[in-house]
Amino acid sequence: MTITAGHSGGCQCGAVRYRTASPLGYPHLCHCRMCQKASGNYALPLGSARRGDFELTRGVPTWFHSSDLVRRGFCGTCGTPLFYDVPGTDSINVTLGSLDEPALVQPVAQSNRTGKMPWFHALDVLPMEPDEDGSDRAISIRLSNHQHPDYDTQTWPEEKSHE
Amino acid sequence: MSIAHTGGCQCGAVRFQVRGELKDASICHCRMCQKAFGAYYAPLVSTRGAELQWTRGERKLFQSSNYVKRGFCGDCGTPLTYEAPDGIAVAAGAFDDPSQLPPVIQYGTEAKIGFVDTLHLLPGHRTEEDAEQAPFVLQWPPESGK
Repeated sequence: MTITAGHSGGCQCGAVRYRTASPLGYPHLCHCRMCQKASGNYALPLGSARRGDFELTRGVPTWFHSSDLVRRGFCGTCGTPLFYDVPGTDSINVTLGSLDEPALVQPVAQSNRTGKMPWFHALDVLPMEPDEDGSDRAISIRLSNHQHPDYDTQTWPEEKSHE
Repeated sequence: MSIAHTGGCQCGAVRFQVRGELKDASICHCRMCQKAFGAYYAPLVSTRGAELQWTRGERKLFQSSNYVKRGFCGDCGTPLTYEAPDGIAVAAGAFDDPSQLPPVIQYGTEAKIGFVDTLHLLPGHRTEEDAEQAPFVLQWPPESGK
């Protein structure tokens, strides 16, 4: 058992936060067309938490039943895809990019590869645009970032001091 | 005879069409895009130089900073847009055929997660096999039926 057995995470704006008390099971990347469209992405990274080890620590997600079997949870305020849930089972899947420390959970497999983008294997060699930390755009974003930090907070949004 | 790319959210409440050539597709690894998409990066297709039209419903917007608004479907949550003063980029996976829009560049690589480059090398499993290997696998049953 590692020291940090569990994980915390949440949406971009911080209205919905969650925590798992144990490690996530079967972290993987799903290439199916339903996960692609639900997440606006090429593939969706998911890991499963036992329901008894999972709790919402702030807010509630909005649910969309993408089929009779499956519902997908997201933040109704900012839209972040958060959960893939099959009600009645003993676990719930969380989106791995919504974890506060996504680098700690490495996927072990890919599923539904028939839906895989034909060029998915070539993303790693794409040219990289130099970081633009000093640009007006980057500064404007940094100074007005409305994203919840990557740790639990007592109150959110923070109370801003008046200027 | 302009090319039209169509797309929308998962539930279909919001639909769009882009007329014109889309040549500026990218992935952004920055932490804001990661969290907004619940994934390792945001795949975005710039609509600059093309004509974006909303053909059904209205997206909901979240102002992630003073500079950027992010659009999504309020009914199903699909991330749809990254909207900055210099133009709107659309989530690649929301297009009806994202395979036609391969990215050509990466942004925000200072926040790139170490294992992202090797994700495509991971073994593929049939979901039944997964279930046997891990007792609480569970992206099960697979929704796609594939």
